[in-house]
Amino acid sequence: MNATSKRVVIILWTILWLSVALHSPSSAQTSRGADIAVVVNADTPVTDLSLSEVRKVLLGERQYWNSKLPVVLLIRAPVARERDVVLRVIYQMSEAQFKQYWVAKIFRAEAASPPRIVYSNDMQYELLTALPGAIAFVDSRNVRPGVKVLRVDGHLPGDREYPLR
Amino acid sequence: MHRPLWILAVLILTANASRGQSPSTPDQTEQIKTLLERVQQLEKRLAEVESRLPASSTPVLSAANAPAKPEAYEARASAVQAHEHDQAEPKVATQQLETHYPSLQIRGFGDVDFSATDQKGTNSGFNLGQLDLHLASALSQKISYFAEITFNAHPTDYTVEVERSIIRYDYNDYFKLSFGRYHTPIGYWNTAFHHGAWLETTIDRPFIVKVGGTFTPVHFVGLLAEGNIPSGGLGLSYNVGVGNGRGEVISRPGDAGDINNNRAWVAKLYARPPKLYGLELGASFYQDKITLVTPTAQDFREWIASAYLVWTKGAPEFLAEFDNVHHRNILTNQVANNDAFYVQFAYRLPWLERSLKPYYRFEYAHMPLSEQVFTHFDQGESIVGLRYDISSYAAFKSEYRYTKSQPGVLGLLAQPAINGLFFQTDFTF
Repeated sequence: MNATSKRVVIILWTILWLSVALHSPSSAQTSRGADIAVVVNADTPVTDLSLSEVRKVLLGERQYWNSKLPVVLLIRAPVARERDVVLRVIYQMSEAQFKQYWVAKIFRAEAASPPRIVYSNDMQYELLTALPGAIAFVDSRNVRPGVKVLRVDGHLPGDREYPLR
Repeated sequence: MHRPLWILAVLILTANASRGQSPSTPDQTEQIKTLLERVQQLEKRLAEVESRLPASSTPVLSAANAPAKPEAYEARASAVQAHEHDQAEPKVATQQLETHYPSLQIRGFGDVDFSATDQKGTNSGFNLGQLDLHLASALSQKISYFAEITFNAHPTDYTVEVERSIIRYDYNDYFKLSFGRYHTPIGYWNTAFHHGAWLETTIDRPFIVKVGGTFTPVHFVGLLAEGNIPSGGLGLSYNVGVGNGRGEVISRPGDAGDINNNRAWVAKLYARPPKLYGLELGASFYQDKITLVTPTAQDFREWIASAYLVWTKGAPEFLAEFDNVHHRNILTNQVANNDAFYVQFAYRLPWLERSLKPYYRFEYAHMPLSEQVFTHFDQGESIVGLRYDISSYAAFKSEYRYTKSQPGVLGLLAQPAINGLFFQTDFTF
């Protein structure tokens, strides 16, 4: 590496350091609301997932609940608080990064389709009950009958240690 | 000497200026449209609730008093009165979202480039990059087809290339079997970014996986098994494949048949530890027999070992990959070890909606004089640049490159270093 390259690296490190130092914490936070429940179709053979396992499902790295039952991902459309929490806590991505992630995922032939976008709670519940293997993220105050609420890291919505809020 | 720094500063300022002048992006328009739709939905629901208010005593399940067990939670939820409003609209939407087979999705990638270098005999100017079409279609719940087709500009015409054509059968997460033409799972870059320039942070690929390059076999025709490995906190996955390997032209695979009776094989093991979200590290091995037809027929054993470590979150992004390509002349037993690596660092800045990403990459390739299959020079390259995401699906990139190469043949003089400026706009549609 010659002297010019070294200087360029030093400048880049300086930019990096400044960006970390000036990073506004408000950009990574959304307003506090109710916990977001992880709900699945009642027939899905799972009751408890760790946050890492939920992330694996949402990243499309786990695509089957078992050999016969594929995962069907449901995600609320932009602006919904459920989506904000999922992107912030699980994906740890911005809206643009999330879109780019799924374009790349499909482009790599690692998944045949992106998560299905749902525009309302009604639509979400309709799909949750109709599609075996469906998983969705719902405001815990709006949980309805016919679905199963999963524990995350051993906790249910409302628990102090529950991670999705 | 200070040229790269000036260029970087100018790029940042230009990006800031253009950002400030730009009207609302397509994303914002999309979000406003979605918001309006949502407001309409909420207004409709509010009107329905208000009309039923005297009779309604629906208990609301509170997160604060959530029962301890999922079953109890579900039972509690069952006590909540179901919504009685007209569900015709959600049902229509549900039908639309149900999967129909085959479900073909088409996505395209494109880029337009400008380059100017001080290399003698070259002209500055614009050029069209690859126009890349990607097709993905679920044929059933467990069978999918993927294809990638590129249109490539040449001085006199365009060529069409089938980059990938893969049919995959999923048994479960641990075993997926596919057949077709792949990007060979050697290292990281070759299977992470494929041909869409928009997908990669930089304007161009590193030397070891250059399109049309020979250092590693970029394509592979055959079968591939892949899946996760139950490994707890390690998050292991694998790829194992058997195929035709390099063809008569060593930059190409044997699409129409193997050049010899020896099959190439490839195995890759990689880890994505759940506790270190964003980290991936892996190693891969590839073995083949190469048959060179010209200038004289010769056979070589090829053994490629590769290792990589990446951190894929944008702040920071770190990619490092090392490849060793070992060739042995079967007749003379003469061996050659070719080494190449790249290290790339990028950081998505927190300002301007995280749309700016400066980056730096250093790469080096060494091919010894004993090498008989490759004809490339030894090469070292530094690039510094800036990516600016003008929307979720389009980007501007600006890059300065410093390339120093040296002939691998005795008696030839070292080439002068090349300085170059490169600009690209790339997008997906």
